[in-house]
Order: sequence, then C-alpha cells, then structure tokens
Amino acid sequence: MGEVIVVTSGKGGVGKTTTTANLGTGLAQLGNKVALVDADIGLRNLDVVLGLENRIVYDITDVTGGHCRLRQALIKDKRYEGLFLLPAAQTKDKTSVNPDQMKELCGDLRQEFDYVIIDCPAGIEQGFKNAIAGADRAVVVTTPEVSAVRDADRIVGLLEAAELRDPRLIVNRVRYKMVKAGDMMSIEDIIDILAIDLLGVVPEDEMVVITTNRGEAVICDDRSRSGQAYRNIVRRITGEQVPLLSLEEGGLMNRIRRMIGFK
Amino acid sequence: MDTGRKAPVSHLQDDVEGEENTILIRRTLRSGQKFYYDGNVIVMGDVNPGAEVVATGHVIVMGQMRGMVHAGAEGDESAMVMAFRLLPTQLRIANHITRPPDDEVPPGTFPEVAKIKNGVVTIESYQTGRAAV
Ligand SMILES: Nc1ncnc2c1ncn2[C@@H]1O[C@H](COP(=O)(O)OP(=O)(O)O)[C@@H](O)[C@H]1O
Ligand SMILES: [Mg+2]
Repeated sequence: MGEVIVVTSGKGGVGKTTTTANLGTGLAQLGNKVALVDADIGLRNLDVVLGLENRIVYDITDVTGGHCRLRQALIKDKRYEGLFLLPAAQTKDKTSVNPDQMKELCGDLRQEFDYVIIDCPAGIEQGFKNAIAGADRAVVVTTPEVSAVRDADRIVGLLEAAELRDPRLIVNRVRYKMVKAGDMMSIEDIIDILAIDLLGVVPEDEMVVITTNRGEAVICDDRSRSGQAYRNIVRRITGEQVPLLSLEEGGLMNRIRRMIGFK
Repeated sequence: MDTGRKAPVSHLQDDVEGEENTILIRRTLRSGQKFYYDGNVIVMGDVNPGAEVVATGHVIVMGQMRGMVHAGAEGDESAMVMAFRLLPTQLRIANHITRPPDDEVPPGTFPEVAKIKNGVVTIESYQTGRAAV
C-alpha cells in the first residue's frame, strides 16, 4: 500500500508545483511507482511543468465523475517508467470535486502506487480541503518571507485540525547571501515560528526556471544546487533522518520595555 | 462533598488568587486561531503571529507570545501577560491597547511580564516571586 503525500503552502507561487514535480521525478528515479495528482483545478500546470500537456485526454473530474476509468486518465511520463500524472481540469472549478471523492481516488491510487503526491492549490478553501482529504502526510512549502511563513503557519494549524499530524517543511528559494546579510529570514527564524520538522532547504536557482520552461524537473540536472537539494529531500522522504538545527539563544538581561499606546 | 474553598495559609492570602477559573491550552496557537476564556489562560506552547488569546484574567504563555493578546478583557487593570518570550504583535490589558515600538530590537530569550504601571503598559523581565508587585 502506497503513501499519499500532499504538498501544500497556503500562499501561491512558493514552489508547490515545482516541489511536486521534483519529488515525483526523484522518487521515480529511485525505482518507485509514483502518481502525481494535480489538485489545482481550474489552474492546472503540473502537466506543463512535466512537459505532458499535449497528452491530456481525461482529467481528475472525469475520474471522480465516473466519465472514464482511473487508468485512462493517468498519463505516463516521457522519461521515467514508474511516473504518472493525473491532470487537473482546466475548464472547471474547485467545487467540481469533493473531499469524499478525493478520499476514494487516493484510496484507489495507493493500491497501485508506492507514492501518491498531490499538488495542492493555494488558499484554504475547498481546493485545499479536497487536496488534503485523502492524504496520509503533508509537506508544507514556504519561502523565507514573512507573509509566506504566516500562511504556512495557518496551514499547519488547519492540517492539525484535520488530524494530518506532523507535517514536514521545505523552505524554498533561499538566498544564502541575503540570509547572511540579515536581509532574509533564516531557516532558524522560520522553524522558530512553525516548529515543525525540516525536510529540506532549496536555494533560489535560475536552473529551476530554465528546466521548468523545458518541461523538465531540476532534480535531473546533476550539477544544480537546487537539484541536489531535491535529491536530498527525496532521500529523507524515503526514510533518512534530517539533522535538527540548533536555535540561537540570547542571554538573560534585566531590562524594561515600554509599549506604545493607541490614542 | 463540598466544604467550600479552603482558606489559604493566612500570610499568603494576598498573593493567592483562586476566584477565577484557569484553563490550560496544551498546544501552540497558530495563525488564524483565536482563543477566548472567561478567566486566566495558560498556553503550554507558542502563540504565533496571527493568533489571538483573549482572557478576562491573566495570560501566561509557556513559550513565545508573538500574536495578539488581551488580558483583563472585561476591564481588569490588574491583569498581566507573562511569556517565556514576549514579542506580541499587539498587547492589550483592560482597555489599554499597545504595540511594540517600530524600532524595537527584539529582546533575548527570557521571560517577561507586561502589566499596567502608573497607567501605562510596561514590560519587564520576570523575576521569581515579583510578578504581582
Ligand atoms: N528554488 C527556486 N528557484 C528559482 N525559482 C523557483 C524556485 N522554486 C520555484 N521557482 C519558480 O517560482 C514560480 C512559482 O513556482 P510554483 O512551483 O509554480 O509555485 P506554486 O505551485 O506554489 O504556485 C515558478 O515560476 C517557478 O519556476
Ligand atoms: Mg502550483
């Protein structure tokens, strides 16, 4: 029985789709049978990122609506034997699928695949609820920005409420130079707020954009730093331990602070 | 069997509070989560930015307080907010609404107490046994 992992974030544009494509590709490279599910109905783009757009005949709503069999809607990847995509519908909206249907779909997929990875839409509404409904585990993606971390925190709270315990964190688009200069949130700052396990850190890397535009995953690029980061993340997903970061501690001082009152 | 509340040992009487209910939250409150309680609140976890804790009594956070906190929400000016790390987005006691100064350097990792002193909300480092002074 396979494992269903949802990739989620709250905020859009932080790298959910990129992460889903790379995790899927990486897990397939290791010989796993992997199904990627694009749950971003109405804004599908996992197919584009994987370079599979021109192969779509049926989509997820055709499966949940009973218009085709699951097998018919699954698109086989160009490069990797074990990698499949269940595309989102582009001409429908998020209400065309409900959480019960997603649960059933995930139940069917996990019979056949080692890993089922769900690309969640941004937001906390129906699309999010659908995407997490059938998941066993969650991976939360954020960037080192206050707003993205705030949204990630909201998502972690909602995952807890939905009894999806112990989500793991990927911090994407980190620019080490900026962090060093104190111009970007550090990993410690982020972990300090979210207090969840770190699955990995992916640097800002133009190779992500270059490979994505070619319909390839950066994990296939042996030299890129982001590809290496995703390869490490894939290994951790298959069971390796992540070393914990130590949090900086400040000294004890006796000082008085004043708060500013509102008129 | 209810024999009524036992009187506290006499010399402690002024420092022991027991009239209000106190509730224990054994987790972190995350962005978007709000907690209201008629009494004192103890959070065994953090209160993250975007989360809110409102209590008619004291609020004690055994962790980081980074969200919005309102102690003495029904007007009790003696209510306090205490946290292992007190970095609220906004801190309210009774009808005093405050925020940290824009240029504030965040304090280190040590417990602090916020309370009304001479009509102004002040924060000072927590020293054992002196919270109520
Ligand atoms: N590590 C990275 N370095 C540079 N660009 C990135 C990185 N991760 C993602 N991007 C780019 O950011 C944009 C948004 O990523 P995407 O995966 O589509 O986000 P989401 O699915 O969360 O909306 C894309 O153009 C993608 O190529
Ligand atoms: Mg996306």
